[in-house]
Amino acid sequence: MRIPHPHDFSSRLRSPAVAARVGAWLGACFLVCFGTGLVSHWAQLPSPAIGFPTSPSWGYRATQGLHVVTGCAAVPLLLVKLWTVYPRLFERIDLRLDRRTVLACIERASIGVLVASAIFQLATGLANAAQWYPWREFSFRTAHYAIAWVAIGALVLHVAVKLPLIRAALGSDVDSGALDRPSSVTAGPVSRRALLRGTWAAAGVAVLATAGGSVPWLRSVSVFAARSGEGPGGVPINKSAAAAGVLDAATDPAWALEVQVDGSVSARLSLADLRALPQHTVELPIACVEGWSAQGHWSGVRVRDVLAAAGATTGHDVAVTSLQERGPFTRTLLPASFADDDRSLLALDLAGEPLDLDHGYPCRVIAPNRPGVLQTKWVSSLEVTT
Amino acid sequence: MSVLRCLLGVLGVALASYGAWLALTRQDAGQLVEIAVWLGAGVVLHDVVVAGAVLGGVALGRRVLPPPWRAPATLALVVWGGVTLMAIPVLGRFGARPDNPTLLDRPYLGTWVALTVLTFVAVVVTGWVRERRGRVT
Repeated sequence: MRIPHPHDFSSRLRSPAVAARVGAWLGACFLVCFGTGLVSHWAQLPSPAIGFPTSPSWGYRATQGLHVVTGCAAVPLLLVKLWTVYPRLFERIDLRLDRRTVLACIERASIGVLVASAIFQLATGLANAAQWYPWREFSFRTAHYAIAWVAIGALVLHVAVKLPLIRAALGSDVDSGALDRPSSVTAGPVSRRALLRGTWAAAGVAVLATAGGSVPWLRSVSVFAARSGEGPGGVPINKSAAAAGVLDAATDPAWALEVQVDGSVSARLSLADLRALPQHTVELPIACVEGWSAQGHWSGVRVRDVLAAAGATTGHDVAVTSLQERGPFTRTLLPASFADDDRSLLALDLAGEPLDLDHGYPCRVIAPNRPGVLQTKWVSSLEVTT
Repeated sequence: MSVLRCLLGVLGVALASYGAWLALTRQDAGQLVEIAVWLGAGVVLHDVVVAGAVLGGVALGRRVLPPPWRAPATLALVVWGGVTLMAIPVLGRFGARPDNPTLLDRPYLGTWVALTVLTFVAVVVTGWVRERRGRVT
């Protein structure tokens, strides 16, 4: 069996006219994914130079939902895009040491980087959204973030190289053969317009099949979403108390919230003490980095009321420690703007019932516009440095 | 080459280099090797396995399917194939945990079988209708 040559591929469907149109939507998806990914990264920075906003409360829910949905839509778009340009993989490069050869090699390498990083981003992102970690060594967060820059950079470079061709393709009729390879002469089983419509349909089905994770009224059609949206109090669980290893500590009757001000313990508040403080109710979403989100009806004490009870002033970042001993989010920082917000609670109840053990009993942080990983569960202490 | 293209090109190289620098400085050697393996494996999986399967499928379709059936079969392949590849992580329920019943809690495989049957029926019906119309006209 010999290696194919571009002229072995004769379908008129494999045309720049199709590639540019699918590529435009694929590029748009990647840009949205990249932008919303940066927002998510910003939201998770411990002390960003510019503070993450506390409003709107549904902001992170919207951006992270969009991130996962556009990533899902990109899968069929990428597959069709790669199909239309597949013959170019077999284009031979003249091995003469001149400027054209060097440029051709550089372009080929940049395409390799683009394809590899695009597939990497979609594969790792989809696996993460389903809490599947088939890799052993690398950190998903670090790798997905770093390769996102590689992918977007390679995409921008690709657009720069192809700009005249993209303009010509988008500016002429989709059926025009002016830009085709000489061997693209055989009519395909469908017209170019029908292939494009099929591709949009595939992307649409991908969106509908997953968007219900963040858009509640789509739940019934989102058959491939990683969650149905059900859970105690109408909120799904990301990590259970058993998985976090806090079953004993969280159910210990001697549990008390420790509040430290300037390094010394100012208050130890039992669950009864917390319930004796003024109770407030908020409607806030839990919005996970994995894209799913759910609105909750939370009741509990305001974070700033707890701090005031311990004698701390407002305007300070609050370090929140969980009973969970392992993992990157056992200790998180609640920036001053969030800690002082009226809507930020140490929640004791969800949907009128005491918090489920898996939702963070005895108490958890719930604040507006924050990634779920920072809504610390099973809180053991708050620390303020004034 | 226009100024815009040059600027875009430089911007692209800068963004990608920043990403490479991020990876190189924040992951150790073992992690970088694994990232490289995943980057390469993705390309091989697509260019050899997925693309090869599509080429084989199309060649087979051309041999066994009468012309009126080829259009619906092609569109079915685009939609069904794209959505199936996207759904692999939930279809396998690889991340399911016994202590968390709220995760991967839908009947994915059953739905996928239903989707596959539905796609098949749609192709058969459309192909049959097109074949009959072709004979009449």
